[in-house]
Amino acid sequence: MKEADDTLLLHKKEFLTYTSSTLTYADIAAWNRFNRNVKIDSGKKVTKDSLFFSTYLDTLDAEIEPYRELNFPISIQGKPYTYSARINLVETEDLIKNIAFLFLAIISILLIGLFFITKKLSLNLWKPFYRTLEQIESFEIDKTKQPEFSKTDIEEFNRLNASIVKLIEKNTAIYKSQKEFIENAAHELQTPLAVFQAKIDTLIQRSDVTREQSEILGSLNENVSRLNRLNKNLLLLSKIEHDNYGDKQTVLLSNYIQKNLDFFTEQANAKHLIVKVEMQEDVEIKSNPILAEILISNLFLNSIKHNIEAGQIGIVIKEGKLVFSNSGQPGPLNTNKLFNRFSKANPSEQGTGLGLSIIKKIADINHWSVFYKYENNLHSFSIAF
Amino acid sequence: MKLLLIEDEKELALSIQKYLTDKDFVCEWVNNTKDALDKIFIYDYDCILLDLMLPDGNGFKILKELKQQNKAEGIIIISAKETLETRIEGFNLGADDYLTKPFHLSELLVRIQALIRRKNFKGSNIVAFNEIYIDILSKTVKVDNNKIDITKKEIDLLLYLIGNENRVLSKSAIAEHLSGDMADMLDNHDFVYAHIKNLKKKLNDAGSRDYIKSVYGLGYKWKNE
Repeated sequence: MKEADDTLLLHKKEFLTYTSSTLTYADIAAWNRFNRNVKIDSGKKVTKDSLFFSTYLDTLDAEIEPYRELNFPISIQGKPYTYSARINLVETEDLIKNIAFLFLAIISILLIGLFFITKKLSLNLWKPFYRTLEQIESFEIDKTKQPEFSKTDIEEFNRLNASIVKLIEKNTAIYKSQKEFIENAAHELQTPLAVFQAKIDTLIQRSDVTREQSEILGSLNENVSRLNRLNKNLLLLSKIEHDNYGDKQTVLLSNYIQKNLDFFTEQANAKHLIVKVEMQEDVEIKSNPILAEILISNLFLNSIKHNIEAGQIGIVIKEGKLVFSNSGQPGPLNTNKLFNRFSKANPSEQGTGLGLSIIKKIADINHWSVFYKYENNLHSFSIAF
Repeated sequence: MKLLLIEDEKELALSIQKYLTDKDFVCEWVNNTKDALDKIFIYDYDCILLDLMLPDGNGFKILKELKQQNKAEGIIIISAKETLETRIEGFNLGADDYLTKPFHLSELLVRIQALIRRKNFKGSNIVAFNEIYIDILSKTVKVDNNKIDITKKEIDLLLYLIGNENRVLSKSAIAEHLSGDMADMLDNHDFVYAHIKNLKKKLNDAGSRDYIKSVYGLGYKWKNE
């Protein structure tokens, strides 16, 4: 609009400066013949500049189009005339539209191009980072394999890798020494425990032990035996961690149950428990035989220990699954800490608090999963092979 | 019966020595490999108790030496080491039994007795105590020549009690003896009471005298009155 007005005024200035002084009457007809948008009219009488909208039929397009028109008075050889200049607004609009479209197109192409280039570039650029991330995600401190980072051209990533390697090395070292500490401590305790045990065994043989003293000795004896069990189980745990029970064989699950069923039934009878066994005879698992036996014994004894008087135990063996369920304290156990070392539902009980962590550890190294469920007043532990 | 105890832990050695000496064993004690080898060269023993970790070397050295000399001693390894490998290596080198520390002295005693019985085995393997006869091979028990109906575990318990005659046996010692490999996992020793009760009843029903005495607060004792 403004542009159109400016153009018209420019036309006026141009005309007044260069053309109007040389124009004669005779030229007017020719002028009007050759100029479509500029006419010199003698009929209209305008006294001052006037800008307005008007519409004309475009003979080429055969449609009525809006125009901006400027009329102003001029004098040619002393006679007054009206100069009328017009601009097709549609053309300007089209132009603006075209220009806008062009710009838009260029910007879009630029943006899309930029997007793909950045994407490709960043993919390449971040590749070492994702490799590092993958390595860290798959890293487990109790497995011996340390992640290996390849060298990259990007200094920041090299620094990142270097610090992760340092971090992992340090943690692994701490973890190792912790593990060794438990094993060494348990091992070193064996000898003093043996002396302790032997001395108590000797002491209780004395004929001059009073009733009061024998009560103390009895309690001492029970506790040294508990200490001993605790120590042996800690040793067992660290031995499993150290992969001392590596060799796997195919073992028949029902064999282990059968083999020790008498012993367990005897234990269960002391609590008047009913043991129900539902066994698929041919279920085989791949495991170290000693660990398989320890796993089953621990599960069995666990279901006896935490049972109630005259309760029940259910054992189910089927393809890929072993389930021990037992009656016990009402309400589900706290699953968060269930498999942690020394976590006990009842802190005052006599157990070592290691049974379930041994079960978990054995399951872990064989890549089995352990599930706990509380259903129909039964606590059940199942191993999925 | 002559025993050689090879053990570097003095306190433990003294306790073992005392417990065994009271049981009519002559128990000599050395605390290193060198002295042990010297003794073995000169004397014959019925049984050798061998600790594996000694100040001047590994106990396996002694086992190898014994094997080379074709000595017929029974050998029980007593060690704090408890890996399958050491066990297997021990047995391969000629050890007869393996007892992991800590152990009850009563357990050690019955292991020695069983080993010596096996070594001196001449066609029969019988333990007799007054009117009670135990045939270990056929797993039968007779009281005054009347066979009684008894389980394997009860025979085991009976041998353990008789072997430790006049000794106080704690409930945990009995429980650990009866449960074998399972002992480390077993927290409840109440089942001992049921076993003792059953055994007592079976022996008494067959006309045996009552040898099993309970000791207040501690456990039980086999006593010949």
